[in-house]
Amino acid sequence: MPRYFFHLRHGPGPDGLARDPEGDALPDTDAARAHALAVARDLIARTQLHAIRDWFACAFEVTDENGAPVMTVPFSDTVTEDGA
Amino acid sequence: MPRPPHSTVRNRLLRAMAPEDFARLQPHLDPLSLQLREVVIAPDAPVEELFFLESGMVSISTAHDERRVEVGLVGSEGLVGAVPVALDCLTTPQVYFVQLSGEGWSIGRGALCAALDESPALRRLLLRYVHTLIVQITQTAYAHASLSLESRLARWLLMCHDRTEGDELVLTHEFLSMMLGVQRAGVTLAIQNLEGAGRIRAKRRRIEVLDRAKLLALTNGSYGTPEGEYARLIEGA
Repeated sequence: MPRYFFHLRHGPGPDGLARDPEGDALPDTDAARAHALAVARDLIARTQLHAIRDWFACAFEVTDENGAPVMTVPFSDTVTEDGA
Repeated sequence: MPRPPHSTVRNRLLRAMAPEDFARLQPHLDPLSLQLREVVIAPDAPVEELFFLESGMVSISTAHDERRVEVGLVGSEGLVGAVPVALDCLTTPQVYFVQLSGEGWSIGRGALCAALDESPALRRLLLRYVHTLIVQITQTAYAHASLSLESRLARWLLMCHDRTEGDELVLTHEFLSMMLGVQRAGVTLAIQNLEGAGRIRAKRRRIEVLDRAKLLALTNGSYGTPEGEYARLIEGA
């Protein structure tokens, strides 16, 4: 299974990206997107971080094992996606 | 391996006990190695053996589903299994597993209980240790309910640092995510935040503690109370 890395964009520039050093093995990009949305929902619902004023301004920048961009998943998609 | 003389043990409970109490336990102490992720006490199973740790750490976690959340931590200050045995409950619903490999001494429940029956001072020492663990778990509840992830991570790193030698902690983000009960991405972000302020330095699978005072300032009082109780009640500080 390919490994996807979910870097968390929370502000501008290199300091605004929390790089994921470990990644997750997932079957394909659809699964990677579903995983990103599930993680985002859980973070929004349960996690209080000093560094984050607004989770909905954040996004996952997903890369493959070679560091090539695969997609960007804005946290705001957790709301629009399923019409919630 | 021979039985340890009192002067060479590193376990702080063994060190704190009176020589005559140590002498009661010493013939029953067997050396053991703890392997990473090994379950040393399973939920609802009779605790047949207890473990005085010399190094390494054991996590006390909830065991409701595959998502364990750590509520307590035992290192060389403690005795793994003290709560169910000293309180005469035989089993515990929690799971105890090795979070950092290390070494220690195992003792059978029967031998320990016989020594507790003989020595009120030894029983008092163990009950006091149980108290410090209750205080630690209370502080975990406070941290989970009231504090930001950065504060909780700072507390956890200090507790981990207390129980390891040197300043480098070998930890993956995945592991911290389990310990703190949050998504890995949250841990990664909190680490970045602590690193930016010069409190820690993060490397691949490692976190180096740079500035304890700065970490402490972030814990909002969640760190220090159980440690103080331990010093006062066990070590007479």
